[in-house]
Amino acid sequence: MSERRPFHRQQARRWWAHKPYLAYTVRELSGVAVALYGAILLAGLICLWRGPEAYADFQRILRSDGAFAVHLVLLAAVLWHVVTWFQILPKTMPKLILGGRQVPQRQVTAIALLVAMVCSAALLVVVVAIGAMS
Amino acid sequence: MSDTTVSSNVPAKTVQLRVLRYRPASDREPAFVNYRVAYSDDMSVLQALQSIKDTQDGSLSFRWSCRMAVCGSCGMMINGEPKLACNTFVRDLAPNTVIIEPLQNFPIERDLVVTVGDFVKKIESIYPYIIPKAPKPIEDGAYLQTPAQMASYESFSDCINCMLCYAACPQFGVNPDFIGPGAMAMLQRYNGDSRDGGRQFRLDQIHGEDGVWSCTAVGICSEVCPKQVDPANAVNQNKTNSALDFFLHYLQPRSQP
Repeated sequence: MSERRPFHRQQARRWWAHKPYLAYTVRELSGVAVALYGAILLAGLICLWRGPEAYADFQRILRSDGAFAVHLVLLAAVLWHVVTWFQILPKTMPKLILGGRQVPQRQVTAIALLVAMVCSAALLVVVVAIGAMS
Repeated sequence: MSDTTVSSNVPAKTVQLRVLRYRPASDREPAFVNYRVAYSDDMSVLQALQSIKDTQDGSLSFRWSCRMAVCGSCGMMINGEPKLACNTFVRDLAPNTVIIEPLQNFPIERDLVVTVGDFVKKIESIYPYIIPKAPKPIEDGAYLQTPAQMASYESFSDCINCMLCYAACPQFGVNPDFIGPGAMAMLQRYNGDSRDGGRQFRLDQIHGEDGVWSCTAVGICSEVCPKQVDPANAVNQNKTNSALDFFLHYLQPRSQP
């Protein structure tokens, strides 16, 4: 009656493809888009270093419809990565205590997201301004 | 009062419970068994299981104690989600069949009862008690703490060791030696306490893959927690602490405990 024979159940092999883990999987995959963006930027820098002709080729490729479509998809994925990254942010830091009370995690996410948007907009303005002046 | 009389004459609503059963002495592997139970609007899944045990099959095994979400004994998978059976209500799940399984990621001892030995060892390994910074005689009075100092660890002390977070953690499913969310919440409860001086002992327990570094911030542990302990926060803020401690130990050789 009291025989002990613990049964080990295996976790589903494709756990990452099912709810509630699918959101996590998409978040992690969207990080690949950030790497691809970096790779495109790096390719541009290498073309710039190799000379005006190579750089003109790089610009021509960027103007193609295919490149435009890829960039739309990458932009969407990177924006999703930004939002979900800041949702994780409050999990990675100690509780923020102000005036003896904890600042809600949602508020931390909202403020960080706002700062990121303002910084990105400022950077865009600077780049456009420099482009217009040169 | 007349309402009560009327409703008691109405035939009781029933719901089907599909329970994963495993009797180690006779079963090769777990198998589902269906039961039909009459339920009222205030009936929890735990009460439904108790009604099966009382009236249909006395051999059905499950853990429970307080039946009010304080003891953490009745954790199980209900329709695939880790839940406390005592604060999950049949009315929210009926008329569909309710699928009940033992907690995911743990070995099954019998029916809905899982092995908790490893989890208890993990809790023990992180020194789950206050280690004073220096000896303090009683004559010197009580330790004082401001509300802000208390707020920095208080929610982590709400953990009831129900292990739902472990059942929700796919990384614990992959690596059973991963210290896991619950034990890390307990660790942070003490490391975050201004009266405690045992931080270094605990940090020494959480380096490496079996420490915090198996975590990939999936975050479902915090979502299933019935006490809003936020174990994902406990694990992830200690990745920073573990990394800092790794680099600092090169700079300042530390004395042996």
